[in-house]
Amino acid sequence: MKRRVISLVLACTMAFSLAACSGGAAEAPAEAPANNETEAAAEEPEAAAPEETAEVASELVDGKFPDTRHISVEVYDRGNDGGSDPTNNMYTEYIKKGMLDKYNVEVEFVAVPRWTETDEINNLLAGGSAPDICVTYSYPTVKTYADMGGILDMRPYIDDYKDILPNLWGWLGESNLYWDSDPNDGTTWAIEAKLANMNRVLTFVRKDWLDTLGLKEPTTKAEFHDMLVAFKDNADKLLGKDAGKMVPYSVSYDVGWRAATLIESFIDPKISDKEYYVNGFDDRKLTENGTKDAIKLLNEWYNEGLMWKDFAIYGSGDTTEDDMMKAGYVGAFTHNWDYPFRNGEDSIQANLARLVGPEAKYVAIDPFEDKNGGHTKFLAGPIDRKVFFPATNDEPLASMLYLDFISDPETIQYLQIGDEGVTHNVLDDGSFEIIAATGDAIQNSGMNIDYTITCNGLHLTTDELTKNSLAHSYAGIDPEDVLHANDIANTDTIIGINVKVGDIEAEGGVGETLSAKRDEIYDKAVSAPVADFDKVWEEGLSDYLSAGGQAIIDERTEKWDAQYTSENIR
Amino acid sequence: MDNETVVKVPRKKFNSAYIKRHYQLYLLLLLPLIYLIIFKYLPMWYVLIAFKKYSIVQSITEMPWAKNHGFEYFIKAFKNRDFLRALRNTVKLNLLDLLFGFPVPIIFALILNELRLKKFKKVVQTITYMPHFLSWVIIYGLALQLFAPSTGFVNLLLGKMGLEAIPFLNDANTWVKTYIGLGIWQSFGWNSIIYLAAMAGISPELYEAASVDGAGRFQKMWHITLPGIKPTIVVLLIMALGNVIGSGFDRPFALQNKLVMENAEVIATFVYKIGIKGLQFSLTTAVGLFQSIINVFFLLGANWLSRRLGERGIW
Repeated sequence: MKRRVISLVLACTMAFSLAACSGGAAEAPAEAPANNETEAAAEEPEAAAPEETAEVASELVDGKFPDTRHISVEVYDRGNDGGSDPTNNMYTEYIKKGMLDKYNVEVEFVAVPRWTETDEINNLLAGGSAPDICVTYSYPTVKTYADMGGILDMRPYIDDYKDILPNLWGWLGESNLYWDSDPNDGTTWAIEAKLANMNRVLTFVRKDWLDTLGLKEPTTKAEFHDMLVAFKDNADKLLGKDAGKMVPYSVSYDVGWRAATLIESFIDPKISDKEYYVNGFDDRKLTENGTKDAIKLLNEWYNEGLMWKDFAIYGSGDTTEDDMMKAGYVGAFTHNWDYPFRNGEDSIQANLARLVGPEAKYVAIDPFEDKNGGHTKFLAGPIDRKVFFPATNDEPLASMLYLDFISDPETIQYLQIGDEGVTHNVLDDGSFEIIAATGDAIQNSGMNIDYTITCNGLHLTTDELTKNSLAHSYAGIDPEDVLHANDIANTDTIIGINVKVGDIEAEGGVGETLSAKRDEIYDKAVSAPVADFDKVWEEGLSDYLSAGGQAIIDERTEKWDAQYTSENIR
Repeated sequence: MDNETVVKVPRKKFNSAYIKRHYQLYLLLLLPLIYLIIFKYLPMWYVLIAFKKYSIVQSITEMPWAKNHGFEYFIKAFKNRDFLRALRNTVKLNLLDLLFGFPVPIIFALILNELRLKKFKKVVQTITYMPHFLSWVIIYGLALQLFAPSTGFVNLLLGKMGLEAIPFLNDANTWVKTYIGLGIWQSFGWNSIIYLAAMAGISPELYEAASVDGAGRFQKMWHITLPGIKPTIVVLLIMALGNVIGSGFDRPFALQNKLVMENAEVIATFVYKIGIKGLQFSLTTAVGLFQSIINVFFLLGANWLSRRLGERGIW
């Protein structure tokens, strides 16, 4: 519901900003009042970049700006119940103070709603009022604006300032800094944050239900199915008067994510790098071989009444499903590897214990076997969010220094674990245990990833510390459960690779259309009558392919063949 | 996308003395005039985006012209099946709205007008106005509580009675009925106001004379009330027709979900998704311009027709 409200507001603002963004470049610098000296540079970023380097090296006196600079930084607003103000809390104070002391740079945070981030960033960019440092999960957005000339090429800054960016280089390295670099001319529209923890999607089940019914944790699809049936048949025993509300297995409208491990179990674990890449435009794996079989199985389960009947009518960001989990109606679900542990006092696990009973909890399981009997999980590359500078950024040096500051191991550690006694306790072995914080110290996102924009996942000053602390990093959650989930998430993983074949032109401008179609296909196919499944799937897929999907597959094939001689490049 | 209806003041000979005498009134007019110019007329210049390759960093005059003499994006739109689907749905939903939604407030106003008990009438009126003030997001929230397939109140009730659940929101065809129904529910009370006002203007002498002649209630309704509000009906009909391929954004957007897109995607939501979320500004400006032009034709056509039929029209 929230998403709809926000979207409505967005649409209205957009209508106005479209009208108002007359001379994008001409107006933008005026909107972000900045230093007079640098204003000229902003208008012609690329031309000015090399000459600026020499000038800029002398701009810093003892590693500091002689005059105070001002930059704005995007931060996600997750709208958590009882969260802290994302633009003003204990952590933003730490960053602001750090940047001011170290570089004489004033930092201002600009909140962007997490679940509509792409829309919002679009509006800010189109309106010429985007923050100096932007963050998004959507590379196509970055690319589209880059093609319009709305984004700075970061390559000169990355390379020329290398000496004064030791932390950034040390943490991201060439791999992530150059991840999106053009193989021909090196232009880099965004740098990729590093995924410190690559765990992706897992399936969770109600441990107490298994115990009540005397069931083992399922290890195959057949056992998983039997378990769902057992849940359904024993609804009265498990839920009493709420039996009618039981959902044995739950997915959301985003089936491709919320059934990811099931879908992946149908893909050949020996799939070639080429095949995986060629069909890999859609990160929900719609066009990979095997996906159809996975959805067909879901469709059967749906029609047997084993799944949440209403899943498709609730949109992104809606909390209905979470609430059902918290209230204890959901038997099993597939989601991010730490989903039930997140959010401290408001976590699914904590709510279950409060609302249902102390024995009620979700545990991770690995029930979907692939054709070789393993439990293959396809991970993305070690990349996370994309950090970029819009063309309206007239403080590229200060912005790069910010990225360096935020990649400093000390900064990351502080943002992730906070103060002793407030957000963490130190355990006997020196590792940290996260405790539920209150007020200003509440982390709105797990381990404050919204501030550590170059890092996602626990990353403390030493690997040893990280490993020992991970299990204790979810306030109020049994460390054993976290370790167990972490182990499963690391079973039979295949890590994504960076395929550098240059731009795929067919991908331009169709991302939104295709992902909307993908969701439609998944949702309709899962909820179709069994007899109609093939028809619904084939119709949907052919529509998807003819709307641009096929062109992408063809161009990817062609460019792969031009760049590589082998089907496998690892 | 909204069409401004220009209400013309009866023509007067230009007379500076006249302006001097009433300058306060003209000053009062100035503010809305500025508003109209800034927010309605100046933006029109930007329909040029439809003929140009849009870029956020260039001004409208700097942007290069699109291919095919600037018509690249129009051609693209008409080759795009999703746009054609949105166009079809827009026309379909609006015509259904017109067919079922237009008569309801008239009938309601007629019934209300016959009520003798003033207090009861007031209460009924107030209750039926209320949904008009709810946003569509809230109405969708209510609809979910009532009509969700497995947890909605209505379907739970049907289940208790041993009947099959009705897929109000999750079947493309049933969704159309829900959409139209909710639209009528939300607006009929509000829309009846204007008819009630028109009815209040009908001279009571006509009714008295008819009573003397022995006319019954229905005869009076048919021969006095309805002809009395006919000009109002015609004006509103013209305005409704002028909007037949336009549409509000919030109603379809709030009510749609992935399962019903086949019938629920309309031009407004298409433009939002493809243009604003998908960053294809030129394409969707072309779509918007096309939509406005068709709407103007509908408006002119309906106006012409009403004049032909002996009514006043709106200008």
